[in-house]
Amino acid sequence: MMRSVYVLGIGQTVFGRHADMTVNDLAAAATLASVRDAGISPKEFQTAFCGCIYSPPTVVESSLIRLGIGRIPMYTVENACASGSSAVHLLFREIALGGCDVGLALGVESLSAYNKKFGKGLIGIEGDLDAKSGLTMPSFFSMLCNRLIQERGATLEDICYPSIKNHKNGMTNPYSQYKKEVSFQEIMKSPMIADPITVLQCCPQSDGAAAVILCSEEYFKKNNKKAHRAPVKIGGSVISVSGAHDSSFDPLALEANIMGVIDACEMAGVNPRKDINVVEMHDAFSGEELSAYEMLGLCDAGEGVSLARSGAVAMGGRCPVNPSGGLLSMGHPLGASGVRVVIDIARQLWGEAPNQVKGAKVGMAQMLGGVLSGIASPVVAGVHILVK
Amino acid sequence: MTIIFHPGVMEERNGRWVQIGRKCSSCGKTSFPVTELCPFCSSENGEMVSLSRTGTLFSFSITRVPVGPYKPPIVAGFIDLPEGTRIFGQIHAAPDEIKTGILMTMKTGVLWTEKDGTEVMGYYYEPIKTDVGGAE
Ligand SMILES: [Zn+2]
Repeated sequence: MMRSVYVLGIGQTVFGRHADMTVNDLAAAATLASVRDAGISPKEFQTAFCGCIYSPPTVVESSLIRLGIGRIPMYTVENACASGSSAVHLLFREIALGGCDVGLALGVESLSAYNKKFGKGLIGIEGDLDAKSGLTMPSFFSMLCNRLIQERGATLEDICYPSIKNHKNGMTNPYSQYKKEVSFQEIMKSPMIADPITVLQCCPQSDGAAAVILCSEEYFKKNNKKAHRAPVKIGGSVISVSGAHDSSFDPLALEANIMGVIDACEMAGVNPRKDINVVEMHDAFSGEELSAYEMLGLCDAGEGVSLARSGAVAMGGRCPVNPSGGLLSMGHPLGASGVRVVIDIARQLWGEAPNQVKGAKVGMAQMLGGVLSGIASPVVAGVHILVK
Repeated sequence: MTIIFHPGVMEERNGRWVQIGRKCSSCGKTSFPVTELCPFCSSENGEMVSLSRTGTLFSFSITRVPVGPYKPPIVAGFIDLPEGTRIFGQIHAAPDEIKTGILMTMKTGVLWTEKDGTEVMGYYYEPIKTDVGGAE
């Protein structure tokens, strides 16, 4: 029997450029914010997990020792853009299975530090066969956009819609990298990366960290010092990895996404079509969000474009997607984003979000990682369902 | 000097460069590149086969910024082979010459030249111009 796992506290840095901060500076700042939010001593932590892609060794130990946290098991986990989701998932399991009562899940990245070391430009995976043939994230997602146009009848306006919506959503977010609205014309006038993807359809490169403190029910009852906060629990937590792909594979129906959502919703006992009031998801590219609505179970297969056109995923709609501004406006410090989507859903369910979805009771936090290039690099989805 | 861009993906057979895949005798699927066991069913039973040279274009992208050694516009895409394998490769054609579903043929040649003059050889694809009578 798994125990219930609750969110006790959250913290993050502003996302954006912090070229003068190390990953340890960023991770320590987010952790400090989370313990202050929870109102507990850092000495309370019984374990810690950290998601990060490009960190120096022992990033979690080196960051947490600065707050007096040591002598507990700590791990850094890498799962591409789902690294932070994986840290949350591992902590969830540890508490749910009775291994400990309270712990920290952290995510951090400094792309400024990465660029200093490796130079700027599109990131290819070293040694990957398809990367040597020129496959990049934008080129993969440009093919996905072309399939949306061909198979789903999407227009360029449809493809730009998530970017327009999310930039607008991010206007009030104090942690956001951008606080600027963009129009369809501005998006299409920005430099072309890979047809039809322009710069303003891509998330920016970012530095930042996010942290969440999870605990058991008993611990929550004793330590929920922000008494006005309703209990919010992690109802479902799934890391879903794809298998090998052949020519039957359709990028508009990513098995890792679809199965991750089905499993997480089943675990939480919710129906994604009816019960989910708010979603925070991996919108690295505007077209990616458009393609995801059906994979996340918000509508039938093939209906994602009409769902967007109906206004259902905008603020005030049936299920707003990325009210925070998403990666497109918030920014995307790779390892941190999987934790950040979880804490933004917690804010929504507590009623503390800067762009609040009224009366939200159930939310989904999703991340997708990997280069999506067949068998050389499979994809991984992290899905969390939070329930008030 | 000439080298192959990725170890183990190509071989010279009967005087011609071919891509080498594995046809699994347990599940029947053909995978590429060859891995330790079948990536679909983990079987070790199978044989190394040369892949079909022609397939259909599943999807493609036109990248407008430089990527590694490639200069824009970079046309690349996924080609579906008759054996059910999907392969990503550079496409040597103007953007307006291609659309999804058309027949493509595999060619081999120099993909890029290193600073020290080493030529890096690999495979790429070209559309089959059926209106001018054809395949290679
Ligand atoms: Zn097999």
